[in-house]
Amino acid sequence: MIEAYLIHLLILIGIYFILAISLQVSLGFTGLLNLGHVAFYAIGAYTSALLILNGFPFWFSFLMAGVLAMIAGLILALPIRKLKGDYLALATMGFTYVVYAIIINWSELTNGPLGLPNINKPSLFGFSFASNLSFLILVVIITAITSFIVYKIVKSPFGKVLESIRDDELASQSLGKNTFKMKSFALAISAFFAGIAGSLYAHYVTYIDPTSFTIVQLIPVLAIIIIGGLASLKGTLAATVILVLIPELLRFIGLSSSIVGPARQIIYALILLLIMLYKPKGLYGKVELD
Amino acid sequence: MVFVQLLINGLIAGAIYALIASGFSLVYSTCKFINFAHGSVIAFSAYMLYFFFSMLGINFGFSVLFSIILASLLGYLMNVLIYRQFRKRKAGSSILLIASFALLILFESLLLMFFGADIRTIGYIKVVKGISLFGAVVTPLQLIIIFTAIITFFGLYFFMKKSKIGKAMRAVSDNKDVAEIVGISSERIYSWSFGLSSFIAGITGVLIGLEQNLEPVMGTAVIIKGFIAAIIGGIGNVYGAVIGGLLLGLTENFGVWYFPSGYKDAIAFVILFLFLIFRPNGILGIKKGGDKQ
Amino acid sequence: MLKISNLKKFFGGVKAVNNCTFHVEKGKITALIGPNGSGKTTLFNLVFGVLKADSGKIIFDKNELRNLPIQKISNLGISRIFQQSRLFDNLTIKENMLLAFDNEDTKLFKNVFGFNKTTKEKENKIEEILKLVKMEEHKNKLAKNISYGQKRLVEIARSIIKPHKMLMLDEPVAGVTPSLRKELAKLLSKLRDEGETIFVIEHDMNFVLNIADSVVVLDEGKVIASGKPDIIKNNKRVLEAYLGD
Repeated sequence: MIEAYLIHLLILIGIYFILAISLQVSLGFTGLLNLGHVAFYAIGAYTSALLILNGFPFWFSFLMAGVLAMIAGLILALPIRKLKGDYLALATMGFTYVVYAIIINWSELTNGPLGLPNINKPSLFGFSFASNLSFLILVVIITAITSFIVYKIVKSPFGKVLESIRDDELASQSLGKNTFKMKSFALAISAFFAGIAGSLYAHYVTYIDPTSFTIVQLIPVLAIIIIGGLASLKGTLAATVILVLIPELLRFIGLSSSIVGPARQIIYALILLLIMLYKPKGLYGKVELD
Repeated sequence: MVFVQLLINGLIAGAIYALIASGFSLVYSTCKFINFAHGSVIAFSAYMLYFFFSMLGINFGFSVLFSIILASLLGYLMNVLIYRQFRKRKAGSSILLIASFALLILFESLLLMFFGADIRTIGYIKVVKGISLFGAVVTPLQLIIIFTAIITFFGLYFFMKKSKIGKAMRAVSDNKDVAEIVGISSERIYSWSFGLSSFIAGITGVLIGLEQNLEPVMGTAVIIKGFIAAIIGGIGNVYGAVIGGLLLGLTENFGVWYFPSGYKDAIAFVILFLFLIFRPNGILGIKKGGDKQ
Repeated sequence: MLKISNLKKFFGGVKAVNNCTFHVEKGKITALIGPNGSGKTTLFNLVFGVLKADSGKIIFDKNELRNLPIQKISNLGISRIFQQSRLFDNLTIKENMLLAFDNEDTKLFKNVFGFNKTTKEKENKIEEILKLVKMEEHKNKLAKNISYGQKRLVEIARSIIKPHKMLMLDEPVAGVTPSLRKELAKLLSKLRDEGETIFVIEHDMNFVLNIADSVVVLDEGKVIASGKPDIIKNNKRVLEAYLGD
């Protein structure tokens, strides 16, 4: 019993961690106030679900989830390229809503508010990841690969270019860097892994509907990266574990599940506010939001 | 006539969007940051009306009064307890934006927790047969909405133009540093801005609560339309907010003629994107030169 | 090296740059001076692509710079420092320097697969240039943790290490101690002697008159004098511009 619960928590930690470090690439490292992350998560989830429900193999559905989300990111990067700060936040938040509106209205494709049930569990090379334990193993592998790739990116000179854009875009341009191209890459990378996380989510819960993809879902991820510290991968890991586990404690106080849901968001919102006030660099960050 | 009906529906929706946007722009004009939590104050006001009138059975007039007063208080407290603390630490507008986003989610979740996810209605103004006007139907509630909106906008106009505080607000909005030199306390003006903005939010919440159903996510839905309207009109320009709201309401309602009604929100977003890309300063905003800095 | 012809930039009614014509000679130090608000930084911004000129020509090394994006202009060979310090605060001095070295770091796949390592060669070059401004000990400090004067020094070093044909320095010694100013004057002269082309905006008259080979004087957006420092020193119009209303 406890085992099953722990496995569930670890799976959540894995999925949230992928969401968080991918957001770090565009927000923490490049300084883009990218509030559209949930849109890419949604595109990933729906792409993966629709493909597998139409007979495509898991590995294809999974990869396409990332690819389509990434393409969406590249497409979004173009119209928003001149926006900064607040306006960028509004446009990206707007994008989240556009994707939500499309999901909930394009019933022929997404089944609208009814959602997509019976999403198959993943299977690779004939091996089925049906049990939760085997799914956890899949999540761990994918999380590890994601972390490795993101780590490589941000520690490389390319990562330093991203950080230079965050710190002073004009100075970065004056050194000859094509900042539009760099920002597009950053957004595309963020989107790709958000899409991957979406696919994992869809195959884990086996039923998705639009309510899991509203702007509200951004708060836990945003809280994680700010509390962990912007541009700190180590901090992101710590914060993911903390933020996934804390609301779970509520269950043990005997709160009914209709209260636990909103209570989780309340906790995230409160912790986020407190950290921004009293420890703005977060746990391990060296960078503050401007 | 379909055209007149769409026009009237558009004006009603526009009036509401204009109310939302004007409160929102008011805070932006003086405090220079995007306050998503404005939506929460509106939702809070609507739920308070439900609480006092539908749940406790208190007289309608008093319920409206209490709701508006509490909403004003909520906005005022948000500023004093939260935003001011950030300003003390020299927080930039991006941080304030994220903080306001956190507050929006916080209050939405609180409403969800206390009132549940079920949709509620305040059944005060019964659905009566509407009045016929130029071939279209207008309900008494819709007339009340337009009427209240007009009074609110005129009140706001005179306040900003003639009153001492109003003038001080415009001074802070134009140039905070110069305003402080001539002795205006910007923190005091911020308090007034939030109080006034939340007062308008209180009125807006009551009207929306009567016209539409209540659900916890309404705060988010409402503020999104609000900031779109504000951007169309020129963010930080209260008159622009009114124009933007009306334009948004009309475009949405005429647009629904061609597109399925579910895509109403998508229309609003396309407009948002178009403005952000081509005219981020909105209709009444000042167009900046072609500088990259 | 740089030829400005009839350059104009108006901001509404303000004639920031009003029909300017002059040139910056290769291998020499050209100073751009003038009272506050005369349009010097605006001119720099027009050359560097930060602002769009209304009309006129900007020819650098046979390339027309007008309408080019900043990074293209930079890659054509102009290294610029700004009036305010623009280091990357959350990166180390060394990382700031590495970014200026070349643009191989913008190639995503090359970098992720490890094909863009920081060679010993690069490290030595960085050390060498930092030594010119005496900042080599601080190379692992975060840029936000050094003093303003030190930041300016690093910026100068960074502009040197960036591949360039011309340096554009906007008030490089503003806010810097007098002894450091002397050092920087020596450094710039040395660079010029080695063949560098330097275009500098500066308010410090001594600094300018001591090292500049040629001076261009701006007042209210117009070039009111240009030529050798000695001639400018005694030019009546120039004196009026500085001392007058």
